Amino acid sequence: MAAGCAWFLVLGSVFLCNLMKILLPTISTFLSKMVQKDAEQESEMRTEIQQMKKEQSSISMMDEFARYARLERKINKTTDKLKTHVQSRTAQQAKMKWVVNIVFYILQAALMVSLIWKYYSDPVTVVPSKWIAPVERLVAFPTGVAGGVGITCWLVVCNKVITLGLSTIS
Amino acid sequence: MESVEEKTGSISAAQLRAEKRRRKLLLNSEDRMNRIVGSTKKEPDNSGASRRPTEPRFHLDLDRTEPWSLSSASQRPSPFLSEAPGATRSHTATPERRGSPLPDFSEPRRASLEGDLAGLRQRAKGERAGSDEVSGSPRRGFQQYLSRLDDAMKLRSQLASEKPAQEGGSDIEEFDPFRVFRLVGSILLAVFVRVFVCKYLSIFAPFLTLELAYMGLSKYFPKVEKKTKTTVLTAALLLSGIPAEVINRSMDTYRRMGDVFSDLCAYFFTFIISHEILLLFGSETP
Repeated sequence: MAAGCAWFLVLGSVFLCNLMKILLPTISTFLSKMVQKDAEQESEMRTEIQQMKKEQSSISMMDEFARYARLERKINKTTDKLKTHVQSRTAQQAKMKWVVNIVFYILQAALMVSLIWKYYSDPVTVVPSKWIAPVERLVAFPTGVAGGVGITCWLVVCNKVITLGLSTIS
Repeated sequence: MESVEEKTGSISAAQLRAEKRRRKLLLNSEDRMNRIVGSTKKEPDNSGASRRPTEPRFHLDLDRTEPWSLSSASQRPSPFLSEAPGATRSHTATPERRGSPLPDFSEPRRASLEGDLAGLRQRAKGERAGSDEVSGSPRRGFQQYLSRLDDAMKLRSQLASEKPAQEGGSDIEEFDPFRVFRLVGSILLAVFVRVFVCKYLSIFAPFLTLELAYMGLSKYFPKVEKKTKTTVLTAALLLSGIPAEVINRSMDTYRRMGDVFSDLCAYFFTFIISHEILLLFGSETP
């Protein structure tokens, strides 16, 4: 049964890899949101700045210059602080994206290598060799089993078909 | 009345002086350009060979008889630009132009670039014609450099205009009706072959027949102008002197091979899946 489902296992793995590749930006955004603790602080700062600006607009610059200037300085200070926060958050996001990409590609490579390792000598499925003549050796590579469909051939075919299918959907 | 005449006389004298100064400056700029280019041009003779920098000079180009000028790499038509405005070929009539891998190049930008670069090339060409006897190879190098520069500028602007579009829809393959038809045909054929044909024949024979049929049918489908992506490979090939027409044809062949490979993958995949499904339901054994 396990040998009979080898083709499906490879197909499923390739499908998952391709799906993950499409979802990578979403995953990295989600993870960076999870990791960042000071997102609330940032929104508080934004609200504070908005409130101060509103307050400043209600003050007459001529009549209450000292208060106006104090508020202005406070707004500038908070804005600078917010800018620093946003910069650090963006840098962290980029870093997270990079890490997620690297981890994904390492996992994908590991999965592919393990699949090739596992099915190096066993074909993923077998059909009568005359059906796939005259390229039965190429299709069976690296197993050498007459009429077998080798892991490399099946990986290539699955990858192409899934890429086509996903691009049609998206 | 006399004062008025004097005034006009003085104005014309001033204008004359200004014109003289302007010409002198232009000559200086010419000298500077020569120094930059590294030309060791001698002072031109006064017997009619002297040229002004503002004169049009391509007529001298036509009189050129030096053998190196014909085989010069700089004479290679630029893949993106037609020859100088004085040349016989027009933009639309140039085969390289028509076969350019950059078909959707933005018109205004191209016009301005061509204006700048053609002017530069024209100037250089004129200079070359005048100083061929003295120094051939630096001029040729300069011409070659200009030709490459043309290509590089075109590519740069092309890449700049393509970048937003690619960012928007990266890795999404275009599906024209013929492509969809091909894929659907391959899938249906695979099912048909698995059910009826494979017992008697190799599965690749019907597939090859189908591909031949597609080649014949392709002319009945509306031709979709595919946007050629300017890759680093294209840029490298162009800058190494391979004409755009050749690159375009190679890219077209490459695309067709890719389409056939996609069909083959879809066909083989469907065949194997149908085979496994038939095995699973136990209707038949291979």
